[in-house]
Amino acid sequence: MNRQKLLSYAKIWISLIAISLIYSCNSSSEQIDFSTQIKPILNNKCISCHGGVKKSGGFSLLFKEEAFAATKSGKPAIIPGNASESEFIKRLHEEDPELRMPYEKPKLSKEEIDLLTKWIDQGAKWGQHWAYSLPKEVKVPAITEEASLIINEKNDFLQNDIDKFIINRLEDNDLPPNHPADKSTLIRRLSFDITGLPPTNNLYEAFTKGEITYEEAVDNLLAQDTFGEKWASWWLDLARYADTKGYEKDNGRSMWRYRDWVIKSFNEDMPYDQFTTEQLAGDLLPNPSVDQLIATAFHRNTMNNDEGGTDDEEFRVASVMDRVNTTFSVWQSTTMECVQCHSHPYDPFKFEEYYKSYAYFNNTADEDTPDESPNIRFYTDEQNDKKNKIISWVEKYGTKKEAELYEEFLSFMEPKYLAHDATDFVNGELADTKYLALWDDGSCVLKNVNTQGASAMYMNYQAYVDGTTMTIRENNSHGEILAHFKIDKTKGNIIRKIPFKKTNKPTNLYFESNNDRIGKQVSTSFITWFAFIKDIPGVSEAGYSQINKSFLELLNTDSPQLPIMVENPDFMSRTTQIFERGNWLAKGDTVQPGTPKILNDYNEEWPANRLGLSKWLVSKENPLTARTLVNRVWHQIFGRGIVSSLEDMGTQSDPPSHPRLLDWLSLRFMNEHAWGMKALIKDIVMSGTYRQSSVATPELYQKDPNNELYARGPRLRLSAEQIRDQALAISGLLSKKMYGPGVMPPQPDGVWQSVYSNESWIESKGEDKYRRAIYTYLKRTSPYPSFITFDAGSREVCTIRRTVTNTPLQALVTLNDPVYIEAAYALAKSMDTESVEKGISIGYKKATFSEINSEKLEVLKNLYNQALEEFETQNEFQENFAGLQEKPTKKLAALTIVANAIMNLDEFLTKA
Amino acid sequence: MKNNIEKLIAEKLKREIETQTRRHFIKQCATGMGGIALGSIFMGCDPLTPSKTNSNLHTGFTERDLNPLATLSPPFAPRAKNVIYLHMAGAPSQLEMFDYKPELAKLNNQECPQSLLEGKKFAFIRGTPKLLGPQATFKQEGESGNWVSDNLPHFKKVVDEVAFLKAVHTDQFNHGPAQLFMHTGSPRLGRPSIGSWVTYGLGSENQNLPGFVVLTSGGKAPSAGKSVWGSGFLPSVYQGVQCRSKGDPVLYIEDPDGISRDLKKNTIKAINEINKKEYSKYADPEILARINQYEMAYRMQIAVPEVMNINNEPDYIKEMYGVEPGKESFANNCLLARKLVEDGVRFVQLFDWGWDAHGTDASTAVDLGLKNKCREIDRPMSALLLDLKQRGLLEDTLVVWGGEFGRTPMQENREGKTMGFKGRDHHGDAFTMWMAGGGIKKGASHGQTDAIGFSGVDGRVSVHDVHATILHLLGFDHEQFTFDFQGRPFRLTDVEGEVIHEILA
Repeated sequence: MNRQKLLSYAKIWISLIAISLIYSCNSSSEQIDFSTQIKPILNNKCISCHGGVKKSGGFSLLFKEEAFAATKSGKPAIIPGNASESEFIKRLHEEDPELRMPYEKPKLSKEEIDLLTKWIDQGAKWGQHWAYSLPKEVKVPAITEEASLIINEKNDFLQNDIDKFIINRLEDNDLPPNHPADKSTLIRRLSFDITGLPPTNNLYEAFTKGEITYEEAVDNLLAQDTFGEKWASWWLDLARYADTKGYEKDNGRSMWRYRDWVIKSFNEDMPYDQFTTEQLAGDLLPNPSVDQLIATAFHRNTMNNDEGGTDDEEFRVASVMDRVNTTFSVWQSTTMECVQCHSHPYDPFKFEEYYKSYAYFNNTADEDTPDESPNIRFYTDEQNDKKNKIISWVEKYGTKKEAELYEEFLSFMEPKYLAHDATDFVNGELADTKYLALWDDGSCVLKNVNTQGASAMYMNYQAYVDGTTMTIRENNSHGEILAHFKIDKTKGNIIRKIPFKKTNKPTNLYFESNNDRIGKQVSTSFITWFAFIKDIPGVSEAGYSQINKSFLELLNTDSPQLPIMVENPDFMSRTTQIFERGNWLAKGDTVQPGTPKILNDYNEEWPANRLGLSKWLVSKENPLTARTLVNRVWHQIFGRGIVSSLEDMGTQSDPPSHPRLLDWLSLRFMNEHAWGMKALIKDIVMSGTYRQSSVATPELYQKDPNNELYARGPRLRLSAEQIRDQALAISGLLSKKMYGPGVMPPQPDGVWQSVYSNESWIESKGEDKYRRAIYTYLKRTSPYPSFITFDAGSREVCTIRRTVTNTPLQALVTLNDPVYIEAAYALAKSMDTESVEKGISIGYKKATFSEINSEKLEVLKNLYNQALEEFETQNEFQENFAGLQEKPTKKLAALTIVANAIMNLDEFLTKA
Repeated sequence: MKNNIEKLIAEKLKREIETQTRRHFIKQCATGMGGIALGSIFMGCDPLTPSKTNSNLHTGFTERDLNPLATLSPPFAPRAKNVIYLHMAGAPSQLEMFDYKPELAKLNNQECPQSLLEGKKFAFIRGTPKLLGPQATFKQEGESGNWVSDNLPHFKKVVDEVAFLKAVHTDQFNHGPAQLFMHTGSPRLGRPSIGSWVTYGLGSENQNLPGFVVLTSGGKAPSAGKSVWGSGFLPSVYQGVQCRSKGDPVLYIEDPDGISRDLKKNTIKAINEINKKEYSKYADPEILARINQYEMAYRMQIAVPEVMNINNEPDYIKEMYGVEPGKESFANNCLLARKLVEDGVRFVQLFDWGWDAHGTDASTAVDLGLKNKCREIDRPMSALLLDLKQRGLLEDTLVVWGGEFGRTPMQENREGKTMGFKGRDHHGDAFTMWMAGGGIKKGASHGQTDAIGFSGVDGRVSVHDVHATILHLLGFDHEQFTFDFQGRPFRLTDVEGEVIHEILA
């Protein structure tokens, strides 16, 4: 029997099965499935009035207990096992438009009503949406006989188990898989997907000549440092990483060490569970390393509002909310912000659960202050020696616990009391709503301070005038004097140690200031914070005063720093209250930390803090963490998720195109790969599905516009970063330098228009002009213009998915931006050979990694001739040709035009 | 009953808009490119002639498929087609411009009653501030008899064209969040701006210019940065394009030195010819879109510098606006706004920085610096209304004027101190906005504040109401005009907003 015939027999057979299936579906004995058959109807037709925000008639279909509870009428609307007595069904049949449901909407179809009726008659079994159920063990499907028929003879589609999930669905849709992509196309695609860059010449040659296998090419690329740079640029969108604080002032902040940490972690293939824990709770791990503290900057990427007149607490709350929302978006594909004000309209998350989640994040020391404390301080080697000496001293003469306190205080200066908590000002004010500033004869109070029984207070302040006396009393103006000291003019902010009367109970500190040498309403000083730390032990030992001195010296060093997460000690912890209707000023019931009920249980052994929360997220019992990650990595490679709504896996999300594949990959990722991201990526790119050619026909696009079935390989426009990196790479300009502060490659003048800030774009020199895009300084209110044009975001909030657009402004960038002209010029130099044809072919190949065909060559040669002719008739063209530093020959100028055209081809801007 | 039918029609139209997304485009594209005309270059026409939006496309393509800014009709008959939104960044003082409060003059320098301060938050006012009488004289102007201060002598002549909203309120009192709220309907980042919603819903009439243009003056960008014209979760093609007065009007619009228009034309022709071959291999509709975008880029390179050049305007027009060619000024921007709207740009957004009259120095004093700011805008914004009118454009153009909030009737006492200059703090309880043009009732005034202008006592309208009204005039029901994101439909007006019928013609 020949292939064709077999195929047609097979089709008849399948049709028969299909008919019998339809038949059996219609028979009343078939069990109705809540998740796939009922829930979609409820969500589409009922829940906008009967769920979440609205519970019309006291009836809600969002939660099981609500659906079966008594409604306003006093009776439940659904009576399991008895559809004809259920008001829910009666109302669907109702003829009176005032009574019929859905209200003021078209009647449900007969099929829908039948399904709902049967479901109730069968006992109205409530089910769980797949996204909230654990992935069950999935067997790799066997290739059906029919499926094996559509695979081409060489059988080169089936490369690993992924393909077995894909092929059966292709077969169901009568689509054969595509042939494999040719080697040049494949290695370029692979290289972009793994490293974000085109392949190096060596790799290209080795692979296309067959010197190395495909798998060796994959391993080679995964081992490159450029791997971390590519995948970090994805993660940094989720982490909302930027080099400025955002909001009105949008001043710079030093966050780049976090960006470098992400790159390194990807390159070291840090398992995703560890990657998660260190970013969410690195500070709460036992004896956290510097790197683990840096990792916590993930959640310090929230914006910080320095605008004058802003309430620090309001924006601290905004940051905490952003942390809750981002955590659930990044790890759970869940939009928690929907339950900020009310229970989720569609998904089974409750209003109070938002605030239970909030409680995990509500106890960190950061409070939207301009200095962004707490910051981890990076000491020099010499300073670190000093620091270690202090710590060993404290450990030697005191306790380990005390040594930890000193270690922490020297690392990130916590705990401390922020001046913005001061109240009851008389002759004084919170200057700029941020600094404690008393005038002559001024006073204020800082409540409930635990002074740790210390005999000294550390105070961070700045003063512009001499001769102030400050007195700190207990409680009020008659209280016992706790400290009395002079304040003189300072050079900038300093940290001072001030003798303090020991007291062991929490105290209200009453501040007084006097200075009769200054005018009225002149501030004596601007205080930022106060800190108390148990005295350094070993007072009678030799060298004690030296240790004390170096402690204060270290605190006053101007060290590089990075904002991190630090948990408040118990005596400073906050309680969390529900915000009524999401309004932070309308505080309701107090709640304790807790995770949403619908998801996995919270193990009692886990602490009720961010560390516990991270353990809950990376528990293998959590149904969403692995699926979310797998889905998004898949999206990075195929341009579409298995669940295409990347932001949302829940009742409103798109159904997975290959549900079993999603679960299989998720389980494999957790169990076999032990959360290894490189292994996951390797699985995907090793598949025959990935290796297919993206050459297609209009008919195929018509059948499967979004490539949901994978009958062709991915063909996607490169990202903003990749477009620039590629231009620099193929023209030989790209710098390999990694890490360090953000760089400022050329950008047009006048793009930055900062309010109240003299920060400006200072063009980087030397190789810093040509660094990979991930190192470009990102100012939130004014990101690098050409990246924005190619759909990169401003990273003000977490971006799960960039919308890919195709606009004329993009053409203007790659045609006219001096960065791209310079790259075209550099490429043209390599094309400057004796034969123009040869030169064009070289340039084309360097750019696209494929041989030029005669038609394209002809077009480009024409362009070359037109350009050359024009330049030859102009005399002064060279003077400042295209703004280049050098004066090219006419030929080189004409080649630059051709190179510019090549670097604007669709095939160049796209990975095919 | 009638209402229901209208709702159904609206629903149907909304669905049509929704289906004309990229996803749909790709589906339709797949029917082949046999009948698709790939624009003028391939047709042998002169690409220098800007093409209008009429479709010569076959095989189920709509213009919007190739071009996301292609014109769409709104669900209802619109009263206005274009919008010019004048935003005075920093928040102008309604008490020195439009909201006349003689009682406040009498109470000048008296302590503000505690009852007004209770439960209120101010950015800089502390303790008990003193009331500050109006620092301008007012008269009733025009046939409408609406009040305008002497700070705006030119505006008095056009006062009958506009409708005032005297009791707008917002719940934000810091610039950044309040500007975001005013332009995106949310004080937090991530939502699309009004201009993005409008260009998403209507496309643009001119395919050689961006559909949503932003012009800034006053030396600084708005506090909230580019997000105030951002596209949020809408495709970035709908974000505002900032046209600049200095340097390239649109970034990278100028050809590099030594590369002529002809050569650029040949370059794009070569690129598109090769891309066309690429399409015949891959059949990827994105390639067709790219071909189209390159042509549009070429046309924009001609059209943008042309429309941004005010030198060719007749002298009397230049004088009318008081333009200063070559500089970045509000006057230039007003004239540009007219030119852009005349050329079919859908939404023009002007930001003028420098209205934050705290009284920390002379330039921010309500009796000094504010007068200068008023002088800077008075002539041009009045000229804009007249010029639009004389060209018959005002009927189709909605002009909106306002800030992100208003200012306190109390004098600012920053950090509890008495200040050397007279200033007012941020105030969201009551402030004035005005609208003019398409569908607006001329000479109307809606809403009233209390005797000192602290709160609205009648006709209070929210920022969402303003948005609902703008969308209404453009032919949208703000409750139906949604975009699905994160599993739920989002709207500009969130879950609030009512059309302010009192100011509609």
